Amino acid sequence: MAQGADFAEVFVEERHSTAVVCEDDRIEKVTTGREVGIGLRVLVGESTAYGYANELSPEALLGLARTVAEAAKLRGGGSAVVNLRRTPVPYELTVLRPPAEAAVSDRVALVQRANATARREDPRIKQVMVNYADTLQRVWIANSEGDYVEDERVRVRLAVHAVAVAGGLLQTGYEAVGGFSGLELFERQPPEEVARTAARRSLLMLEARPAPTGRMPVVMAAEAGGTMVHEACGHGLEADLVQKGLSVYAGRLGQPVASPLVTVVDDATLEGRFGSYRFDDEGTPGQKTVLIEKGVLCGYMYDRLTARREGRPSTGNGRRESYQYRPLPRMRNTYIAPGEHDPEEIIRRTQRGLLVKKMGGGQVNTTNGDFVFEVAEGYLIEQGRVTAPVRGATLTGNGPEVLRQVDMVGGDLGFSIGVCGKNGQGVPVSDAQPTLRIPSLVVGGTAGAGEAEAATGGPRDSLSGLCRSGGGR
Amino acid sequence: MSGDFGREKDIVWDLVAQAQRRGARAAEAYFSEEEETGIEVRDQKVEDLKIAREQGVGLRVLMGRQPGFAYTTDLSGDGLVRLVEEALANAAAASEDPYQVLPGPAVYPENLDLYDPSLERTPPDAKVELALRLEQAGRSLDPRVRLTETASYEESRYRVVLANSNGLLAAYRGAHCGLSAVFVAAQDGDHETGFAFQYRTRYADLDPEGVGRQAASRAVEMLGARPITPRRATVVMDPYVAINFLGLLIPSFSADAVQKGRSLLADKRGRKVAGGAVTVVDDGLLPGGLASAPFDGEGVPCRRNLLLEAGIVSNFMHNSYTAARAGEETTGNAARGSFRSLPGVGTTNCYLQPGGEHPAALIRGVGSGLYLTEVLGMHTANPVSGDFSVGAAGRLIENGELTAPVRGITVAGNILEWLGAIEACGRDLTFLGSTGAPTILVGRLTVSG
Repeated sequence: MAQGADFAEVFVEERHSTAVVCEDDRIEKVTTGREVGIGLRVLVGESTAYGYANELSPEALLGLARTVAEAAKLRGGGSAVVNLRRTPVPYELTVLRPPAEAAVSDRVALVQRANATARREDPRIKQVMVNYADTLQRVWIANSEGDYVEDERVRVRLAVHAVAVAGGLLQTGYEAVGGFSGLELFERQPPEEVARTAARRSLLMLEARPAPTGRMPVVMAAEAGGTMVHEACGHGLEADLVQKGLSVYAGRLGQPVASPLVTVVDDATLEGRFGSYRFDDEGTPGQKTVLIEKGVLCGYMYDRLTARREGRPSTGNGRRESYQYRPLPRMRNTYIAPGEHDPEEIIRRTQRGLLVKKMGGGQVNTTNGDFVFEVAEGYLIEQGRVTAPVRGATLTGNGPEVLRQVDMVGGDLGFSIGVCGKNGQGVPVSDAQPTLRIPSLVVGGTAGAGEAEAATGGPRDSLSGLCRSGGGR
Repeated sequence: MSGDFGREKDIVWDLVAQAQRRGARAAEAYFSEEEETGIEVRDQKVEDLKIAREQGVGLRVLMGRQPGFAYTTDLSGDGLVRLVEEALANAAAASEDPYQVLPGPAVYPENLDLYDPSLERTPPDAKVELALRLEQAGRSLDPRVRLTETASYEESRYRVVLANSNGLLAAYRGAHCGLSAVFVAAQDGDHETGFAFQYRTRYADLDPEGVGRQAASRAVEMLGARPITPRRATVVMDPYVAINFLGLLIPSFSADAVQKGRSLLADKRGRKVAGGAVTVVDDGLLPGGLASAPFDGEGVPCRRNLLLEAGIVSNFMHNSYTAARAGEETTGNAARGSFRSLPGVGTTNCYLQPGGEHPAALIRGVGSGLYLTEVLGMHTANPVSGDFSVGAAGRLIENGELTAPVRGITVAGNILEWLGAIEACGRDLTFLGSTGAPTILVGRLTVSG
């Protein structure tokens, strides 16, 4: 610091993780991990130097500090006095039953309950995979501005993947729950329920017909989750991409970028959600950030680096996968706020189209706004009624174009969880939306093109900026 | 990074012995260390510099027939005692499994040339220079290349040390380096991105100007891209796109997937699933291969395996576990990312074998169709059912020539259908990391826009 760095930061992390995998009706893997690591960051002007190590001897750490300082073109050996003051906890997130205090056998029992339920559902269920994971992450963050934060994050996740087979056809169904929560999460969302949903989805897909192909109205149910909002505008509103000119939303603050029915919020403060936290990974208190209000772009998501460039405070979106990575502006729990339409009425008022009941993963090219996401459970809508299930559909569109088209927004709200990838870093997020209607969206299915036209009667791993997110099978 | 493994060999031996003393029937300790350098430049300035080192050890134990695993970064005496306790406790919670076996000592191939010492000798400034040249080459290609999304140099040097209770003790070190670039070209309000990568085991093999120009020209060529009407089309896929599709097929060659009923190829061994032009190879000893190594994640010698030979499914990939379960021999495909994971089944250097044709000749032969250079959302495709429906971009082929750029289209089908429709392979085998493919000609696919 004494040598002219603009900002220096230490991030120390201790992580305990437990994972249980059941497949083939056997508890196949029970694994635990203990990891301690330190990340050191120095900013000089527009340059960042980042170093990390997990060997915590004083020699190793001094060596790391020297290397990072040199990398930042400083002469080593300087010192600076910083008065650290502890940042008060902004709000509480409750954890009632910390997994770290439970026995491994308690987690195994949850997995067994899910496995047994899915297998009992139907004889056509031929394989079931259950993945359980919990982490206890303790962080200590200090920086040259005198901020000091100590925090603890507890997350649990359970995912069920069912494979159904009939008549030479192999189909899968997937469902996952997770949260910043202890094991009490499974009292609200029992493993049996997760298992049944996954199993039923795989069975449904056996009976589904190939999805139509072409442009058509699309209704997305609230329970479909929020992959669409995550891809269509979430990534494009991350300040690093905006500042580099790599976002279709750059330079559009105060302008309409969506239908007036659309309000988009990114919120770290929600109790129990997978993307919630008290402090981000730079020690900034988490908060609720309104990004689009009634269709008008009103804010971006900032970490400290991007906020400094504009002389404004961080919005608490600085996140990193672990001590091995520098922080980046990332989403937390992102949602489109509920509107006023009756969800059933939205379907009734749609003559022909596609109902998306569950979204899968997605990806976006933020530079031009083109996105794609997978339909994990979809149905045809005919004469305002939900009819046959369809499989193999993907929806593609352009973020601003699609958001401008939204013409009905339901009063409900449904969440889904995922691990969002950016610059090779995965972080836990959740997304949500109410029931929505988009009058015209490109559906890519496997049914013949001619058939699709008749049916509708008309109409990158580690590429930065290209996001990968979703269920993660 | 030292090539001497004294301390690490002591650690893994000691872990195996401790586990056995505490009642484990068998044990395996796996140490890995990685040193990383990353340099990102933008507008001819260094934007990000990363220097890192991490190490740790994973311990697999068998309590009777119950497997358990734990890992730690704490290599102190106390840390290792705790590691043994956790692994044993985890085994007690797992199901009994008769196929858990560990391999014995073996003779490993030598002189694989996995570690280029010039990586260590080259000063950081020279590597920064390489990244700057990469960016310069791309940005100066055409005035319409307006932005750098990524222009970076990366390097990884690693060491692996493995021991097990059958008396196996082995070690090696390796390294690779790479360049990647993504540029944005703009014209009349249209923004398009283009990318290119190059990863090598030898520093001297990197070509920053070539990578920079390739990424930039891919961006420029996409300017003015438009969607097209739905159709069935003959498709030529460039190597990067072909690699993406191959990546969806590869999990089906895993014996683990076969045994657990989630492989599309489970009942197809010895059967023809593709044309004679299609051969898929997995080669753990490939000269210059990023994933080449003397042994796999559990100490079995790496080797070359034919997975698909002239269209016929010839072999599945095995580790010791799946081999025991199938009553076969392991193929040396125990895959392990780091000390944090158990050995699964995975590829080493896996590629679709090239054919004899020049890519331009493939395109000429098509007459009219689509040339794909980008896919979006490939990870959303389903490796179990094989169904895919992905976003894509590329150019139209008209009268055997590449013409207008197209984007916002989707390509849908099933991976077995894709495999069966490959009619010809170009001679331009290209690797992205450790997976490779040439330009390929695929019969008819469903395309919508």
